[in-house]
Amino acid sequence: MPKLATKEDLQAMERQLILDRKKVIKTVIICGGTGCKASRSQSVIDAINNELLTQEMESAVQLRVTGCHGFCEQGPIVVIEPDNTFYCHVTPEDAHDIVAGTLKNGEIIERLLYTDPVSGRKIRTELEIPFYQAQDRQLLSHNREINPYSIEDYIANGGFSALSKAVDGLTPEEIIHEVKVSGLRGRGGGGFPTGRKWTQCHQAPGDEKYVICNADEGDPGAYMDRCVLEGNPYLVLEGMMIGAYAVGAQKGYIYVRNEYPLAVKHSRLAVQQARKYGLLGEGILGSSFSFDVDVARGGGAFVCGESTALMASLEGKVGEPHPKDVHTAVNGLWNKPTLLNNVETWANIPPIILKGAKWFSSKGTKGSKGTKIIALTGRIKNTGLVEIAMGTTIRDIVFDIGGGAMDGKAIKAVQTGGPSGGCLPVEEFDLPIDFDVLHEAGSMVGSGGMVVMDESSCMVDVANYFLTFLQDESCGLCVPCRLGIDRMLEIITDITEGCGTPAQIDLLEELADTVTQASLCGLGKTAANPVLSTLRYFREEYEAHINDKKCPAGVCKALIEYYIDPEKCTGCGVCKSACIHGAISGEKKELHIIDPALCQKCGICINECKFEAIQVK
Amino acid sequence: MLHYVTINIDGAIIRAPKGTSVLDTAIEYGICIPHLCHVPGLSDIGACRLCIVENVVNGHSQITTSCTLKVQEGMVIRSNTERIRRLRHNIAELLVAEAPNSRAIQDIAVRCGVKKVRYPFRNNNCVLCGRCVRACSEIWHANAIGFIGRGKERHVERPLNLREEFCKGCDYCIQICPMTITPCDGPMKTGEEYLCGKCESQLIVTENIPEKCVWCELGKSFCGRYSGG
Repeated sequence: MPKLATKEDLQAMERQLILDRKKVIKTVIICGGTGCKASRSQSVIDAINNELLTQEMESAVQLRVTGCHGFCEQGPIVVIEPDNTFYCHVTPEDAHDIVAGTLKNGEIIERLLYTDPVSGRKIRTELEIPFYQAQDRQLLSHNREINPYSIEDYIANGGFSALSKAVDGLTPEEIIHEVKVSGLRGRGGGGFPTGRKWTQCHQAPGDEKYVICNADEGDPGAYMDRCVLEGNPYLVLEGMMIGAYAVGAQKGYIYVRNEYPLAVKHSRLAVQQARKYGLLGEGILGSSFSFDVDVARGGGAFVCGESTALMASLEGKVGEPHPKDVHTAVNGLWNKPTLLNNVETWANIPPIILKGAKWFSSKGTKGSKGTKIIALTGRIKNTGLVEIAMGTTIRDIVFDIGGGAMDGKAIKAVQTGGPSGGCLPVEEFDLPIDFDVLHEAGSMVGSGGMVVMDESSCMVDVANYFLTFLQDESCGLCVPCRLGIDRMLEIITDITEGCGTPAQIDLLEELADTVTQASLCGLGKTAANPVLSTLRYFREEYEAHINDKKCPAGVCKALIEYYIDPEKCTGCGVCKSACIHGAISGEKKELHIIDPALCQKCGICINECKFEAIQVK
Repeated sequence: MLHYVTINIDGAIIRAPKGTSVLDTAIEYGICIPHLCHVPGLSDIGACRLCIVENVVNGHSQITTSCTLKVQEGMVIRSNTERIRRLRHNIAELLVAEAPNSRAIQDIAVRCGVKKVRYPFRNNNCVLCGRCVRACSEIWHANAIGFIGRGKERHVERPLNLREEFCKGCDYCIQICPMTITPCDGPMKTGEEYLCGKCESQLIVTENIPEKCVWCELGKSFCGRYSGG
């Protein structure tokens, strides 16, 4: 394999690859991202491969296994180029029809097309699907073009041209200026201006500096970084290389959590391939810039996503945060200046350098520029990974992209920003996705998780869930975080069990404020957000639990009772035989009764009853 | 040669050697900042958060622990504002609810204004201040004890829960543990924990006579006097 010694070598290789690729007439793109893999896309890949061989089509058709397409709910996803026919929920049995029908004869297989849940019509291409239409996919759109195992795919799509532009023609100061002017802010959660961080690190004294890619994503329901790193690790790598050149670092680390096996594998492979082509190593692309990257695996602690804890973990110490009176950009890994950015932040760097800061800042709001990837999950019709321009309202995301509530229930709230974020009620859905606006509203953009909840969710229970998560994940070093979260959880548990008192709400608020202000690291400082935001917008639910001893959503087991509606019960006896606690009695064809003393409120009978006779009060 | 910087703590202009912490400087000059996990001569980890102060930077005050904050030229520190007192009160309340049996912690709590504890008492034997762990590794280089687990599971334990032979038997961990200082009225029985409030009445008497206001080693900095080591 030839080393790319100069900028011209890279351009020549890109031209050659594009020429080679023009010969390919048809391409089958199959999603091999984690979401589709979980829907058994590997067997679809194998089946289509076999079909291509048996029908002797393997020379005419290119098969490309790519990273995530975003619409994970519809997986496995297969796209046929050049017509861009979009098939979803593909099974291995469909392989024959796809190869013989669509690839050979250009037929469209109706049953595999996407059905719009709102209008009910069949849609042929990705671009016509409302889920994709409302998005602005700057980073994610690369995923379908690139096989994550092939650096050639990336180069053929203009990869590393930002790097060659940077090392051959731009000074570090010019690059930092460009990043600063673009208005890019950290995508990992804090929203710190990236350009300012780069300046600090650039100006910090010392010859030995490091860059780190933080891929220790751990928010429940969030997987933006995972998909970027799995689908296009080269983009992240290129961003890191540009950052290293700008601040003068010689060594980089990708810190990726070990629970993301595919991301570990793909980033390692990306680094190996880049080394082979001489894109990592000494004298990159004929310049004097030398840089290398290693992949480090995280050990499964949520708190290691915090920069100082991550660096401690990289150094081989216990992954606990340290006081940040001196910024890590000045005193970081091994006490050297360290530039740490999130996966998505790094991925935004090459386009900024290539297309200019102006292009980037043309999208978004006054304080938040560019696009943001959001993991849209919860009680909505379309779930998956969406990329929107900053400033898009929550309403657009939930209703236009997400398609609104599933099974006709009213949407009540959205939880943004993971466990450190907050819950916003439906009345606040006109708020734009903007770092400052959401912070003002008591939530945060965070890393981009978005969980939509409908009326079947109890907000006290939601706060309980996130506090339990944070209690497990707090490192336990400092008192406000360890004991504060513990006591908040104690109070919330009291409330959900019906023994809360009105005074406890005040105590909860005061405690939440103390935890926010006095904790050591970002985890503790934001740990009270789920409590504070639910108290702010859903105080009446807390009061209903305390004063009326009622759970309005019918979730908190201590405050609800199951009963059988006499008008609906047909006496079929299904519930009686399904109840594992023996709490239901009644003769055949007569009204059945639930014994509250025996009932464990497990919900089995509700799922079994065909007449909706079992209800919660 | 020592470089000195000038800082402002609660309005007092103080010259302190570069590299020292704000807490050490304050104690040196008789300014009372309560603390628990800080031990002279050991590294500071900012665990107990009792020594929090407001660090005023460009008109914005940031809350940070004074034990981990190093002095810098022109620094403005507020250690006794309403906001700090309220936070310190809440932290001390959390601590004393965890270990009401410790006289040292009761002392701190009462001095931080805790008269009533709003949480159910728990009779824990450890508040995870980390004094013992740091003394063992930093003074004696024994590494016989360390923290294991995270969050609620965090506790002090021997390596792998079994390697006893690292311990040199120096007993220093016991000496500096805030739980081992004799309780004022003897150990409380489980379920009967209360704040006796005796420290509080004593405090009123001794408030203006710092030398007399010493209940225990940990209480020393409350009165401002500091004998070192």
